[in-house]
Amino acid sequence: MLYALVAGILFGLYYALISLGLNLSFGVLRMVNLAHGDFVMIGGFTAVVLYSSWHVHPLVSLVLGAAAVFVVGIALYYLLVPRIATTKDPEMISLVLFFGLSQVIEALAVIHFGNNEQSIFDPVFGTQPVSLLGQSLPAVWLVSGLVSLVALALVYLYLYRSRLGYSTRAVMASREEAEVSGINLHRVSAIAFGIGLGLAAAAGALAPFMLGGITPDIGTGLTTTAFAVIVLGSLGNPMGTIAGGLIYGIALMLMQTYLPSWASLLPYVLLLLVLLVRPSGLFGRQVRSA
Amino acid sequence: MRRGVWRDGAILLAVAVVLLLLPKAYSNQMLLFQLMVYLALSQGVNILYGFTGYLPFGYVGFFGIGAYGASLAMLDLHFAPLLGILAGAVVALLLGLLLSPLLRLSGAYFAIASLAASQAVYLVIANPSLQNITYGPYGIQLPNQFNPIASYYTMVVVLLLAVGVVLYIRRSRFGMALQAMRDDPVSAAMSGVPVVRERIAAWLISAALAGVVGGVFAWQTSVFYPDAVFTLSISIFAIVFALFGGVGTLLGPMFGTVVLFGMYNMIGISDPQYFQLIYGLLIVALVIFLPDGVASLLRKKGIHVL
Amino acid sequence: MMRFKRYLWTLASVAALLAMGGGATASAASAPAPKFITIGTLYAGSGNYATSSLPELAGLKFWISQVNAKGGVYVKAYHKKIKIRLVDYNDQSDPNTATTQYAQLITQDKVNILVSDFGSVLTAAAVTVAKEHKMVLFDPTGTGSSFFTPPSPYIVLTSLPTSAVWPDSFAKYLIALGKKRVAIVYATNDFDGAQDATLVAALKAHHITPVYNNGVDTATSNYTVIIHNMAQTHPDAAVEFGYPNNDITFFQNLSASGVHFPFLFTIFPGQQLALLTQNVGAKALSDTFTYPTPPLLAYNKGITYGLSLNAFAKAIKPQIKSAPNFLDIAGYQAGLVIQKTLETSKSLSQLDLRAAAGRIRFFTLDGQYKLAKSGAQLGELLPVAQLQPTKSGGVAPVIVYPQSVATGKAVATH
Repeated sequence: MLYALVAGILFGLYYALISLGLNLSFGVLRMVNLAHGDFVMIGGFTAVVLYSSWHVHPLVSLVLGAAAVFVVGIALYYLLVPRIATTKDPEMISLVLFFGLSQVIEALAVIHFGNNEQSIFDPVFGTQPVSLLGQSLPAVWLVSGLVSLVALALVYLYLYRSRLGYSTRAVMASREEAEVSGINLHRVSAIAFGIGLGLAAAAGALAPFMLGGITPDIGTGLTTTAFAVIVLGSLGNPMGTIAGGLIYGIALMLMQTYLPSWASLLPYVLLLLVLLVRPSGLFGRQVRSA
Repeated sequence: MRRGVWRDGAILLAVAVVLLLLPKAYSNQMLLFQLMVYLALSQGVNILYGFTGYLPFGYVGFFGIGAYGASLAMLDLHFAPLLGILAGAVVALLLGLLLSPLLRLSGAYFAIASLAASQAVYLVIANPSLQNITYGPYGIQLPNQFNPIASYYTMVVVLLLAVGVVLYIRRSRFGMALQAMRDDPVSAAMSGVPVVRERIAAWLISAALAGVVGGVFAWQTSVFYPDAVFTLSISIFAIVFALFGGVGTLLGPMFGTVVLFGMYNMIGISDPQYFQLIYGLLIVALVIFLPDGVASLLRKKGIHVL
Repeated sequence: MMRFKRYLWTLASVAALLAMGGGATASAASAPAPKFITIGTLYAGSGNYATSSLPELAGLKFWISQVNAKGGVYVKAYHKKIKIRLVDYNDQSDPNTATTQYAQLITQDKVNILVSDFGSVLTAAAVTVAKEHKMVLFDPTGTGSSFFTPPSPYIVLTSLPTSAVWPDSFAKYLIALGKKRVAIVYATNDFDGAQDATLVAALKAHHITPVYNNGVDTATSNYTVIIHNMAQTHPDAAVEFGYPNNDITFFQNLSASGVHFPFLFTIFPGQQLALLTQNVGAKALSDTFTYPTPPLLAYNKGITYGLSLNAFAKAIKPQIKSAPNFLDIAGYQAGLVIQKTLETSKSLSQLDLRAAAGRIRFFTLDGQYKLAKSGAQLGELLPVAQLQPTKSGGVAPVIVYPQSVATGKAVATH
C-alpha cells in the first residue's frame, strides 16, 4: 500500500511532465494537439540515438531535444495553425489536422528509426535502487520526479514572473480580449505551443527508462493518457496538471496492486467521471458549456 | 415537396442499383463491403456532427458494441443473424442512452470524452475477467452463421437505411431544428425547439446506426479479436471521410468515403512503403486547403449540394 | 431443300460447338503451365506487429530468391519447374485493412497460394476470407487456437504449435523442479492468456496454486509495482508472459528495481534474443529461462529438407544484413512447406494443395513438421532453455528440459 503510494507519486509526477505541455497549448490555442504524444516519442528517440552514438547523458539529451523541438514547434505553429483558425469550427478541424500530423510523424519515425523497440539499458542512473520513505524504488524514478518538479517550476516562473507569461495568461483567459488589448496573439500562442512540445520532448528523454522500449507508435496512447491527466487537473490551467498527474499516478499504482487487469481502464474512467461530475477539473474554473 | 420525395427515391434507387451490380463487375467483395461500412459510418458521423456540431471521436464504441451484441446474441442466445444484428443495435442504443450525459459537454470535451468512453467499453469487453461473458481477449467466432453473401446484401439494406435517415433528417422539421440548434442553440431554445431532447435523438439514431453496421460487420467477418472492432482508426476514418466530403450534406460524406477509402486502398497496394506518410500528408493537406470539405467548393460556386 | 439446308447448318453449328467445348475440356486438362506460381501475402510495415512481421517477410522472400535462382519450384501438376512471383501489401498492423487486402490478393491478383501475415491478430483477418474463397491459408505464425477449432480444411500452420500448448514442457519442468510458489503475470491477449490458462491448469493438476496470477493490459508500459507485488509473495519461480515490448519493459524495470527472482521465465528472449539483448543487456537476461526456438535451437543435423541452420544463416546474411532470428526462419519455413506441397500435389486446386501439405513429413531447420487434421502443427513441442553467460559477455541458450533434447544443466541464479 505505502509502496504503491510512493511509487504513484513519482510516476504521477512523470505523467504530469508528459501532460503539462498539452495543457499549455490547449490553454492558449483551445485546440487539442493529438500529435502531442508523438513529440514524447521524438524526445525518446533523441535520447536513445545520442546515447548510443556519442554516450550523451540522457539529461543532456533532454535539454537538447527540448530546445530543438521548441524551435520546430514554433515553425509548425506558423505553418499550420493560422490557416485553420479562420475556419467554421477550428476546434474540431484541429483534431483532424493534428491527427494527420501525428500520422506523418509516426511514418517518418518508422522510416528513420525502424519499428524495433529501442532503449538505453546502461545503468546511467546507477544500479542501486534508492530508498524513499522506507520504500526501495528505481533511482531513475526519483530523477524523473525531480526533473518534473524543475520543469513545473520553470513553467510557473514563465507564466507568473515574465512579461510574455503575463500575456500568455491573458490569452488563456480570453483570446478575444487579449487581442483587443494589443497582445500579439500569434506570437504568444506560437511560443506556448513550442514550449508545450518542448516539454513533451523533455519527458520523452526519460521515456526509455519509464515507459519501456521506444517505438514509433507509442504516441497515440500517451496523448490520450495525457489528456486524461490534464482534464483531471483542469484544462487550460497548467498548474492543475500536477494534481492530475498525482491522482492518475497513485490511482494507477493502486489499481496495478489490487486489480491489475483493470488498471488500463483507469485513465478513461477517471476522465469520464471528472467530465461528467465536475467538468472544470478538480482544481479549475468552470469551462464547460453546452 | 413532392418533387423532393421523387428525388430522394431516385437517390436510394441509384445507390441500391450500384451496390447490387458492383460485385458483378468487381470481385473484391470484401473491399466493397468495407466501403459500405464506411459509407454508413460516415453518415452516422454526419447525423451527429453535421446536424448538431458534436464530433464523436469514440464513434467506434457503438460499432464495437454492436458487433459484440450481435455476436453474443447469436452465440449464446442462438438468435438468427438478422435478429442478432437487431440485438446489437439495441445494445448500442442502450450504450448511447447511458452515455447521453456526455452531450452536456461541448466541443473538444465531448470529442475526447466519447473517445475515452469507447476505449473504456473496449477494455471492459476485452478483459479476461469477463471471459465467460464476452470471451475476453480470445475474440469471437461465428462459424455456423458465416454467410458472406447474405451479409453483403444485408449491408446494402443497412446503407440504404442510413441514406434514407439522412435524407429524412435533411427535409424534416427535426433536421431543421437540429441545424438551428447547431448554429445558435440559445435562440433555437427560445423559439421553442426542445434542444436537449432533439440532440439526444440525433445521438441515439447515430449510435444505433453504428450498432447495426457493427453487427453486420461481425456477421461478415465472423472471426475477430476485440481490437478489430474497437480500433480507433474506424472512428478516425469515418470522421475524416465525412469532413473531407463536407458534413451537413448527404452526398459530401459519400463522396469523401468513396474517394479517400479508394485512395487508401490504392496507396496500400501501389506504394506500401510510404503508405502512412502519404495518408497523413493527405489529411493535413485536406484540412489546410479544404477545411470545410469538398462540398464547400461547390457551394462557393453557387451549386447546391444535396 | 431450304429446310434441309437449315437443318444442316444447325447440325454443323452444334457439332462445332461440341468440338469447341470438347476442345476446351481437353485443353483444361493439359493446359499450358502458368508462367509463374503467384504467392500473395501481407506484411506490417509499421505498427504493433512490424517488428515481427518484417523478418517473417524477409524469410519468405529469401526462400523465393533461392528457388528462383534454381529456375523455380518443381510443380508436380505440370511436371516442370516454375518460377515464383510474390505479391505483398502493407497492412500497417491493422486487421481491417488486412481483411480487404487478403481479399484483394485472392480476387484481383488471383494468387495461387495465400500466406498470412505474422501473429494471430493479423491471421484472424485472413481465416474468414480464405474460408469464403475456399483458399488454403499458409499460416506461418498465427497460433490462435480458435483458427483450428472447429477443424478447417483451409488452413495450414507451418511452424509452431498453437500457443495454448507452448507451456507443456515448461509446466512439467516447474513441477520436476519442485517449485511450489509460482508467480505469473501475463498480458491480456489471446497469445499470452492461452499460455497462462494452460500453465495454471497444469500446475493445479499437481496441486500447485500460483501465489500470484494476474493479467495486465498488453500496452502496460511499466511493471515496477507489479514486480514489487510479485516479490511480496516470495515466489520460488516468476513467470512473465507477454509480447516483446512487455518482456523488454519487464526486464528493464526488474533491473532498476533491485528485485531478484530465484527463477524467471519469459517468452521472447527465445525468439528475438538480439532485440532483447540490445534493449535490456545480456546481464539482465543471464540465467533466465525461455522457450528456445530456432536459431537458438540449432538444427544442423538430420535435416531432410531445405538448408541447415548454419547454411541458412550464411545465405540470408546479404539480404537481412544480420544474423537471422526466429521469424526469418518461420518465413523461410513457410516457403519450404509451400515448396514441398507444390512438389507433391497432383494439381493446383486448393484442396489438393491442402491434402499434399497434410502428407508432408520432413525435418527442417525449424524442426519436425507434422500437420494435424485441424491444420494445426503437431511437430515440435517447445523445450525449456536457460540463457547462460558466455565468455564474450553475451548469453547463450542451454536446453535444460526435457532430458531427451537437453544440451546442458541449469545453473542457479546468482
